[in-house]
Amino acid sequence: MDLNLIVGGPQGGGIETAGMLAVRALAMHGLEVFADREYHSNIKGKHSYSHIRASYRPINSIKYPVDFVGALDIETIATHYKDLGPGGVLIHDASLLDKTLTKLPPMEKKRLERLKAELEREKIGNTVKELDEWLEKNGRTVLPFPFLGMITEKAKLASPMIEKAMNTAMTTALLRGAGMPLDTILEAIDSLFMEKAEARELNRAVAAAVSDGFDEIAGTKGIGKKGTVGKGPARGKRMLVAGNDAVAIGKLIGGLRLQTYYPITPAADESFVIEQHSNLFGPEGEIVGSPIVIQAEDEISAICMAIGGALTGARAATCTSGPGFSLMVEGIGWAGINEVPVVITYYQRGGPSTGLPTRHSQSDLLFAINSGHGEFQRIVLASGSHEETLDDAVKCMDYAERYQVPVIHLLDKGIANCVTTINPPTLRRIDRGKRILKGVLEYRRFAFDSDPVSPRAFLGEELMWYTGDEHDESGHISEDPENRRRMYEKRMSKMEKILKEAPDGDKAVLFGDDNFEDLLVTWGVTTGAAVDALPELQAAGSKLAVLQVRMIEPFPVDIVSKYVSKAKRVIGLEANYIGQLAELIGWKTGVKVKNRILKYTGRLITQDEVVSAYMRIKGGEERVVLTGGE
Amino acid sequence: MSMDWNSGVWPDWCPGCGNFGIFTAVKGALSELGISREKMVLVSGIGCSGKIPHFVKVPGVHTLHGRAIPFATGIKASNPDLKVIVHGGDGDLLGIGMGHLIAMGRRNPEILVVVHNNGVYGLTKGQASPTLQLGKKTKSLAFPNINSAVNPILLGIASGYTFLARSYAYNIDHLKSCLKQGISHSGAGILEVIQPCPTWNNIVTMDWVEKNTYYLKDWDPVVKDDEDAVKKAQGIIGIESGEKKALGTILIDRRKDPFGKRLASIYKHYAAEPPATQQLEKGGAPLPIDLEKTFQKFYIH
Repeated sequence: MDLNLIVGGPQGGGIETAGMLAVRALAMHGLEVFADREYHSNIKGKHSYSHIRASYRPINSIKYPVDFVGALDIETIATHYKDLGPGGVLIHDASLLDKTLTKLPPMEKKRLERLKAELEREKIGNTVKELDEWLEKNGRTVLPFPFLGMITEKAKLASPMIEKAMNTAMTTALLRGAGMPLDTILEAIDSLFMEKAEARELNRAVAAAVSDGFDEIAGTKGIGKKGTVGKGPARGKRMLVAGNDAVAIGKLIGGLRLQTYYPITPAADESFVIEQHSNLFGPEGEIVGSPIVIQAEDEISAICMAIGGALTGARAATCTSGPGFSLMVEGIGWAGINEVPVVITYYQRGGPSTGLPTRHSQSDLLFAINSGHGEFQRIVLASGSHEETLDDAVKCMDYAERYQVPVIHLLDKGIANCVTTINPPTLRRIDRGKRILKGVLEYRRFAFDSDPVSPRAFLGEELMWYTGDEHDESGHISEDPENRRRMYEKRMSKMEKILKEAPDGDKAVLFGDDNFEDLLVTWGVTTGAAVDALPELQAAGSKLAVLQVRMIEPFPVDIVSKYVSKAKRVIGLEANYIGQLAELIGWKTGVKVKNRILKYTGRLITQDEVVSAYMRIKGGEERVVLTGGE
Repeated sequence: MSMDWNSGVWPDWCPGCGNFGIFTAVKGALSELGISREKMVLVSGIGCSGKIPHFVKVPGVHTLHGRAIPFATGIKASNPDLKVIVHGGDGDLLGIGMGHLIAMGRRNPEILVVVHNNGVYGLTKGQASPTLQLGKKTKSLAFPNINSAVNPILLGIASGYTFLARSYAYNIDHLKSCLKQGISHSGAGILEVIQPCPTWNNIVTMDWVEKNTYYLKDWDPVVKDDEDAVKKAQGIIGIESGEKKALGTILIDRRKDPFGKRLASIYKHYAAEPPATQQLEKGGAPLPIDLEKTFQKFYIH
C-alpha cells in the first residue's frame, strides 16, 4: 500500500490543520507517514497544499502521481488535477461546479497563462464542471460534495463557523475515500484538538456529518468501499514530528539551556517548540531542567548571545536559515578562534538573498563549510531523515563541547516542514568535554598540550580572557609569530582528532548492497527519495547503492573515497544547481562525479523523479535537471 | 590596591589617551565594590576602548565590532550572578552596534554600558564617529563632517534605559563614582565618558572640555513615579539641549523590572537555577526527563 494524497486551498484557510488532521489519522491508523507542506511567503490567500504519503513501511519522501486530490478552492483544482494518476479521485465542493477555472486573481500571471494554454491544448473547457467531465473521461473519478449543506444541516453549524469547518469536512471525505473508518478520524480529531474542547466538538460534528453522507455520494462510484487504507501492523509508541520539532526535542534532550533566535522561515518554529517545552518534567512531575529562549534583535545578536551563554557554561544554540546565517558568519568566526562550543541549526531555503523564503533548497553546503574569513575548525553535520535529525540535534550539542568548536547542524526546508512518524528518542549521557580540575593555579584557557582541546573553565569560575584577535594561552592579544603558529595549529589539528574519533555512522552511510556498480551520492532530505527509490530500481535490475554523506566538515575522505572510487558510475543527487556535494567529493577524493541529478525549483525531489532521472542517466544523459511539483 | 587590578598586559594606548583615565577609574571602582574578581566580566567591542579588558585583572571578553552588548546579554542572562560591564567606543556602540544598544534598553538587563566617546575612529586613523558634531573637521578629515551627531543620553531615554550618566575621562573620582553607581544599578545603564583623543581629535581637547562641560547641581535623577518620569524626560531634553555638556548622574529609574526578573516571570525555574548552573546529568546518569510527559503532544499511541 502506498497512498499519496494532496489537500490544498488558500493559505490561511485551514489547510495546515487539514493536513495535520490527515497525517495524524493515518499515523494513528498504524501507518508510516511522510507529508510535505508547500506554501507561499504570504499569510492569507495564496495557494498552499500538503502532499501526504502513507505506507506500511517507513518512508522519507513523497511520490507522484497521487491517488486523491482534495480541493478547497478552484486554484487547487486547476493546479493539481494533473497530479492524479489513473484511478485517482478529485474531491471538491459541489458549489464550485459552475465556476470558471481561470478566474484566479492570486495566481501569478505566467502560471495562469500556462494553465489557459494547457486547458486549450487538451480541449478541456473553462469551467470546473468541464474539467471534471474531462477527468472522468480519462479514468479519474470526481466527487463533488455538498459540504456546505452537510455542515449546516447535519452538523447544525452556522456562519462564521462553517468556513472554519470546511477543512475538516474535506479531510474527512478524503480519508473516508481512502477507506478509513470514521472512528479513527474522530480519534485523530480528539488528539489534534486535545486542549481545545470547543474546536474538538465542532470538528467531530463536521466529520460525523460528512461521513454520514459519504456513501450516498461516493458509494455509487465505488470509492471508499474496498478500504484502500488497511490498518497498519501493531507498533510500539511513535512520534509525529516536523523537522523543527525534531530539532527542538533533540536539543532539549541534549542539554540545551539557552536558545537564541531571530524570526525567519523555516527556522522559527523550532524556537516556539522549545519555548512551549521549556519545563522538562521528571518522573514525579518535578522540573528537572529548564532552558530559556531569547528572541534577539537580529541574527548577529542571536549568535553573539548564544556564544556569550556558552562562555558561562550554558549549552547554547541558535537556529536560522540562509539570510540569517549570512549575518551570523562573523560571530561564528569569533567562536572559531575562541574555541566556543555553540550550535547553529541551519535550515536551508531557496537563495540567494531572500530567494524563495518558504521553499526547499540544498544550495548552502559550500557556504556552511566555508563561511567566515580566515581558517578555523568547525563541524558541519547534515541529517537525512527526521529521526536522524533528532538524534543529530543531541549529538551536535556533545560534539560542540567535546571539541570546543562551533557546530553547524545543516538541514533544509524539506526536513524543517515535512511531517513524519519516527521512533521516540531515548535519554542518553551527556559529554561536556574536558573541564578544569579544581584548584588550578594560573588557569590558562588555551593552554598548549598534546591534545588540541584545552580544559575548559566557565566565566565565573576562573580568570580568563577571550578575544577575536589571535591570542596567547591566557587569551590575551598576541601577534608573536611563534605563538601564532602554535595556536593556529592547535585549532586546526582538531580536524584529525574529530575524524579519528567520530563514528563512521556520523560520517557517511551506504544504503543497498556493497557490490554496486552505480552509486548515487546524496545528502539531506533528498536521501529519503533516493533510499525509497532503491528497491524499485534494484528490482529493475540496477546494481545501485546510495551513499548519504552526513559529516560535511571535517570531510570524511577515507570512507567516501572507499565507496566512490569503486563505483563504475557516481551520480550526484541534490537540490541545487552545481551539485555542491558532488563538487566537494571531487575536490576531496579526486574522484570526479560526472553525472548529476539536480533540482532548484524550490520543490522536493520526489521518489518517482529519482527513478526516472536515474533511468535517463543510464540512458546516457550526463546531467538531469528535475522540475516536478507545484 | 589599584596595582593588584592590573592584568600585567602593557596598555598600548597613545600617551595622554583618555582611556588611561577610564582604566584607572574602572580598577578603582571594581576594587571598591568588593565583588569577587571571578564574578565580574568586562565585555568590549573593537577599537581602542575594546582593549581595556586585557589590562584589568578580571575575566574579559573582547568581542566583535559593535557586538559587545549581545555577548554581554547572553552572559548575564545565562549567569545572573556575574557583574557584567560593557566597554565600547562611540563608533562601536553608536555606529555599527546601534541596534543592539537600543535593544538592550528595551530588555533592561543589569549591565552597564560605558561609552568611550572620543568623537573619532581612533584605531583606523581618525575618521568621524557618530558623535562628531555636524560641520566639525578633525585633523584627519578631508572635509567637514556632513552628518549630525547622535546623543547617547537621549537615545538611552528613548530606548528605555534606567540609568544614564555622563562623566569625563580625566575626572577619575567623578568617573569612579558614576561607574560604581551604574554597576550597582539593577537595570540597563549608559555611562557616556567624554574622552579626549590627543592623537586624532584636535577639537575635544582638555581645554575644550573645561570650557564646554559643567557638573549637574540641584538635579535629582531618581524617578519617583509615572508622573515624575514625564517631568524627568522633559528635564533631560532641556539639559541635553544646552550648549554645554552636563556631567553627572542624569537618570535613575527603579520602576522597571530588570531582564532577569522578566525572564523569571516566564521561566519558573530560572531564578533557582539559571542556564549556566543547571546540572545536565544527575549522579552519572542522564537527567530523568519524562519524555512522554514533556513532549506529550508529539506522541502517537
